[in-house]
Amino acid sequence: MSLWARFKNTTLYKSIYRNEYPDTPRNQVLVILNSVVLHLHPVKVPRRAVRVSYTWGLGGLSLLMFLMLTVTGVWLMFYYVPAVPGAYESMKALDTDVIFGPFARNLHRWAAHGMVIAVWLHMTRVFYTGSYKPPREFNWVIGVVLFLITVLLSFTGYLLPWDQLAYWAIQVGSNMAKVTPVIGSYVQMALLDGYDIGPSTLVRWYTLHVILLPLACIALMAVHFWRIRKDGGISTPIPYDEDEEEQEELALAAGETNE
Amino acid sequence: MAEAPEKYQQTGPKVKPRQKEEMVYTWPFLVSIEAIMAITMILAFALMATFVDAPLMDMANPDKTPNPAKAPWYFLGLQELLLHMDPALAGVIVPGAALVLLAMIPYIDRDRRGTGIWFSTKKGLPITIFSAIYTAVIEIALVLVDEVVRLPGMPEGSYRISATVTYLLEQTGLPTAAVSWVGSIFIPLVLMIGIPWVLAVIVKRRYQANTREVMIALYTFFFTSFIVLSAIGTFFRGESMHLVWPWELQPPQ
Ligand code: HEM
Repeated sequence: MSLWARFKNTTLYKSIYRNEYPDTPRNQVLVILNSVVLHLHPVKVPRRAVRVSYTWGLGGLSLLMFLMLTVTGVWLMFYYVPAVPGAYESMKALDTDVIFGPFARNLHRWAAHGMVIAVWLHMTRVFYTGSYKPPREFNWVIGVVLFLITVLLSFTGYLLPWDQLAYWAIQVGSNMAKVTPVIGSYVQMALLDGYDIGPSTLVRWYTLHVILLPLACIALMAVHFWRIRKDGGISTPIPYDEDEEEQEELALAAGETNE
Repeated sequence: MAEAPEKYQQTGPKVKPRQKEEMVYTWPFLVSIEAIMAITMILAFALMATFVDAPLMDMANPDKTPNPAKAPWYFLGLQELLLHMDPALAGVIVPGAALVLLAMIPYIDRDRRGTGIWFSTKKGLPITIFSAIYTAVIEIALVLVDEVVRLPGMPEGSYRISATVTYLLEQTGLPTAAVSWVGSIFIPLVLMIGIPWVLAVIVKRRYQANTREVMIALYTFFFTSFIVLSAIGTFFRGESMHLVWPWELQPPQ
């Protein structure tokens, strides 16, 4: 018996993997049912839905970006100080004093842009394939909220380095919100915790960026994925009733002769 | 006799009633694709993170306003609108309305035919292309016009359609509040509602579009507007947000 085969016979291995390697139909079913990550999928999927040219994998990529942002974000949180001028100084220190510091910061930045683009394109793919149509209406609505959260995540993160780029971009952005009719001054207070961007704005946005918005995003993604399954899995062309089609044609023709 | 009306011209596969979808096992057919995609993307982003540094400029200084000061790129479309109309309209009402209208799409287009098919119908792609060109041409033209409009006699430094309208109406002796309302709210609103409205009318006439196809036209309007306005804001707005060529752009100080 090879070493690997013997290892697979140990109690340890069997306690981790509840089934054999999935190369038989039975085990291909079991692997999906037994794994916490894989069980988000159905056991079988429509052949036309796994074609890359159908979804371009964009929903999955949105999730991947989120995961990359979580990992790199935790790394950044070890070193980041949400204070003035501590924030800027910790960014500088990241570049020189921290192992993988620049790498983590760069990756976090590029994945953040990547996530906005991926989510935006995912929405566009869902739209042009008509995948929002009943029964998936509400999942589309959840998606719109996810899109908003994604943008807000990116926007709150933009301020955190506390450099000129961050400060003035947020100045422009929050000036737009300030002029909300009727409740403008409340919006400003809620967003900036003051009349201008200052240290307390930084704390507020940091909290939104690392806790509130990510949690909201996770909760909505959970509902989003659940609903994909409940709404009948990924969209495929609906069965086309030829009788129905004929009747409709007749109805249309009748309508037209009446005119 | 009237011509037989066109039926719903779905492109792509027609699934017969009670016909079963061909199913494949998730493992390995889907899982392998997901794994390949994830690994490729992680590698690509890791490569980029290794060689391209995220910007870090001088420490924030509230007294030193950069010129131009720009929002993050995904807000530059809205910042572009800001140049042409009332800030409450550009910064709050337009994005708010866009989100609400987006969320409403599935409650307006409720016909299930065309689900799961790129562009749904034979006319879907032509309508998309037409709408994209229509939107891009009109918006680029409007941005250009707004950059140069200036009547002789207008106060130094003022230009743009709204300022011109204000200037003309002021001559009539109307109250100032009403006058600037026309220039910065009424006219932009008419344009922002009118352009997609006319698009919908054209698409209905020219293509005999059904609800789904009108939706395609309107989403394309939204999508193209985002791209066109963001691109203008990113690549063509220089000092004091005047139009420049991309190669004339100064890197931010
Ligand atoms: C954080 C953001 C998001 C994540 C992680 C996400 C993830 C996913 C995933 C993994 C799928 C499976 C199919 C695919 O990959 O295309 C999916 C489907 C779907 N998504 Fe999203 N999504 C997000 C945002 C959105 C947005 C912004 C919308 C629309 C406004 C949306 C609407 C939908 C709909 C309607 C489906 C079902 C599509 C079908 O059955 O063909 N999602 N999403």
